[in-house]
Amino acid sequence: MKLLLKRIKLITGISAINLLLTACGPQQVPTGLVYCSEGNPETFNPQLVTSGTTIDATSQQLYDSLVDYDPRTGDIVPALATSWQTSDDGLSYRFKLRPGVQFHQTDWFTPTRKFNADDVIFSFNRIINSANPYHDISKTGYPFFQSIGFKQQVDSIEKVSDDEVVFHLSQTDASFLANLATGFSVILSKEYADSLLIQGKPEQLDRMPIGTGPFKLVNYVKNEFIRYHRNDNFWRTLPEFEQLVFNITPQSSARLTKLITGDCSVSALPKAGELPVIKLHPNLELDTQLGFNVAFWAFNTQKKPFDDVRVRQALAYAVDKQNILRAVYQETAIKATGMLPPQSWAYHYNKSSYQYNPEESRALLADAGVKDLSIDIWAMPVARIYNPNALKTAELIQADLANIGVKVNIVTFDWSVFNQKLNNNDYDSVLIGWNADNSDPDNFFSPIMSCASLDSSSNRSQWCNAEMDNILAQAKATTSEPARKILYQQAEALFNEHVPMMTFAHATQLTFKSKNVKQTQLTPFGGISFENAKTIAPEGDL
Amino acid sequence: MGRYLVRRLNLFIATTIALITVLFITTGHFPVERPYALSGIAAPTSTQLQNITDNYQLNGNQLQQFIAYAQTRLGGDLGLSVTSQRPVIEELTQALPASFELAIVAGLIAVLLGVPLGVLASLSKNKVTQHSIMAITLTGYSIPVFWLGLTLSLWFGVELGWLPVSGRINLLYEIPPVTGFMLIDTLLWDSVYRVSAFKDAVFHIILPSITLAVLPFTVVVRITRSAMLTIMEQPYIKAAEARGLHTGTIVLRHALPNALIPVLKNMGLMLGTFASYAMIVEVIFSRQGVGSWLVSGIYQRDYTVIQGGVLGVAMIIIFFSILIEVLHTAYNPLSRKEIYAAN
Repeated sequence: MKLLLKRIKLITGISAINLLLTACGPQQVPTGLVYCSEGNPETFNPQLVTSGTTIDATSQQLYDSLVDYDPRTGDIVPALATSWQTSDDGLSYRFKLRPGVQFHQTDWFTPTRKFNADDVIFSFNRIINSANPYHDISKTGYPFFQSIGFKQQVDSIEKVSDDEVVFHLSQTDASFLANLATGFSVILSKEYADSLLIQGKPEQLDRMPIGTGPFKLVNYVKNEFIRYHRNDNFWRTLPEFEQLVFNITPQSSARLTKLITGDCSVSALPKAGELPVIKLHPNLELDTQLGFNVAFWAFNTQKKPFDDVRVRQALAYAVDKQNILRAVYQETAIKATGMLPPQSWAYHYNKSSYQYNPEESRALLADAGVKDLSIDIWAMPVARIYNPNALKTAELIQADLANIGVKVNIVTFDWSVFNQKLNNNDYDSVLIGWNADNSDPDNFFSPIMSCASLDSSSNRSQWCNAEMDNILAQAKATTSEPARKILYQQAEALFNEHVPMMTFAHATQLTFKSKNVKQTQLTPFGGISFENAKTIAPEGDL
Repeated sequence: MGRYLVRRLNLFIATTIALITVLFITTGHFPVERPYALSGIAAPTSTQLQNITDNYQLNGNQLQQFIAYAQTRLGGDLGLSVTSQRPVIEELTQALPASFELAIVAGLIAVLLGVPLGVLASLSKNKVTQHSIMAITLTGYSIPVFWLGLTLSLWFGVELGWLPVSGRINLLYEIPPVTGFMLIDTLLWDSVYRVSAFKDAVFHIILPSITLAVLPFTVVVRITRSAMLTIMEQPYIKAAEARGLHTGTIVLRHALPNALIPVLKNMGLMLGTFASYAMIVEVIFSRQGVGSWLVSGIYQRDYTVIQGGVLGVAMIIIFFSILIEVLHTAYNPLSRKEIYAAN
């Protein structure tokens, strides 16, 4: 009996030692960068959506646009177009295209020709020409382009030669180039589209993307990861990494854990409450970028009693914005006084914006004759750049409104369901926001509160005002910056008067990253680029 | 034995029918259009709608609908996933190997550590050893798995930084899926990184498998111990001792095989709990697998995934429970007496 016990002990001992032995030894890992992203992309073609998650996973990694933003200055710089000229009447834009640009070569497509004018024409015709065979392949439409009225704006696109195209506009538009530089205006391969059409599976164009960007898609497993390889024929400097992986992690705390344990080197959208954790880990750091965004509480102005401006004003007066900034954003955001963030050139500090004033609010409600009001607030279930925690925001508003005798019911669903239900437009009010796609002030108005945007699901307050549309149209048609600034301030004043939505914060864009990763680039318009990311050798052993 | 097998097969079929009935009724109560809940196609074209109506006999009476539903589902057509628009069966088969891998590793840990420890506990005459083993197993049995998983990952992952706490492997290793078992696929991978990748996969499975193994481990220890205590008092063991056989031989050849029979039976009984624990573990350690797939399907109101996942998981559990029972009977002559009597 004793012998047996001894043997058992010996065996356990040996196996324990074995386990330890195999555990040691250096680990070899292929070069690459893992980014913990917050959700699944809906598609791999950014033309079809406005969701930031999809833009992150596609625009900067897989595609290029004709023109780009310089992320530091906000100026428009050449990309697939090397130069451009505007005609004197502002109605046509002539682009000279970059020669020798290769599309991705992947398991499912091998390009036989270089990028040329046909690709540009195809990419935009798909959006504006309903006769294009690909136009109706998109079930979601082209929300960004619909919201800016792109179809009405562009008359035709003309091919001059293989490396030159001209866009003919039907009206002058000061934001035209800025719109072309957004992550939505990507260039697709016409050759690929044509071959898919012949094979009879056109919907593959948006699922298995071919672009000209720094990385090409290898595979995507829903809820798990997106894997990209470097595009070795990339026309700019090749990225240092051979691989880029998006590790899809919807939970913010899980992203942080993965970053700490080294499962990823860059992590998206930290909650403000997690910021102190970074100080405990000397090898991690916080990347910040003042964001072109605004968080708001939109009232459904088509629905009673929100069609009454006094009710909307009353609700705007009842909310303590400072409290939200403190509790939800942990002071990382700037208080909003209108739509435009302070970095915008058209911004003007607006003193008269709604300051916390429950007395005023009660008076306005009494004036409007509304009693025993009970409203639903729809709160997004996920963190977005502009609002890291909509549920908490909703709870704060709930408490504030209880003060003026308004009952609040908070409604939430999973993100994709939330979006779908939101598009039915039968909500009372929703906590959401807007992340600008470009630096033009128009982007804060036309997509959100123009009459044209009623159909595009980005006008969350269902608000359509002729005077506002008029101002916006004028501002678009004007090219002089000072004149436009005055017009946008008029728009702000009108917005402030009607309060179709209560804006409360411009959030700072945050990412966590490991210190040995350098030069990942956050763009002020949302989105992150890994094109120039570098690693520096970590100090000491891993 | 043949008749017994037929009876078990009948049991399998009956349980499956009951399961499908429950699913059929709940599907009717999903707050969406019936064709959508059944097929996962949100906005079907008229031809698609016609196909769905034909497939599921939507114009027929409830009985016809039920038969059509059972036929389609058992024929392997689980519809399209609402969110990804891929066939549910494809997603299910892709997620299954990962769950099996975790379950097998956890099961092995439980048995390989639990049986020796149970034997040790039964043989030890030392009260302190006995009691401490029992105290440890009782604690392990009562610890909630979600708490244990979070604590282990907090301590070994975040505080000490020894082990990874999420996923199945560092994603930079691009392992081509062959068997779906990460531990095998890394070894089959033709690359200079093969060994590192295998080690990485092992590191990734340590914490989740230990978390999952705790419950079956404690059960195995306790059952082995009590079975061994009974068996060691049996006359045939006394006889073997009297003949002067070595204690090791007695334990390993005569006592242990018989003691393992109740262990096997209890593992069958534990299967349902084990599967639900596995799902929790998968979610906590964000591992790919049926559990995390099903949970995310529930969050996203993916009605077809919910149906397909529940059907698949439940059928696997039913199948394995019955299999274990059959093995138990085959292995244990005593229980054959019951065959013609009860159940």
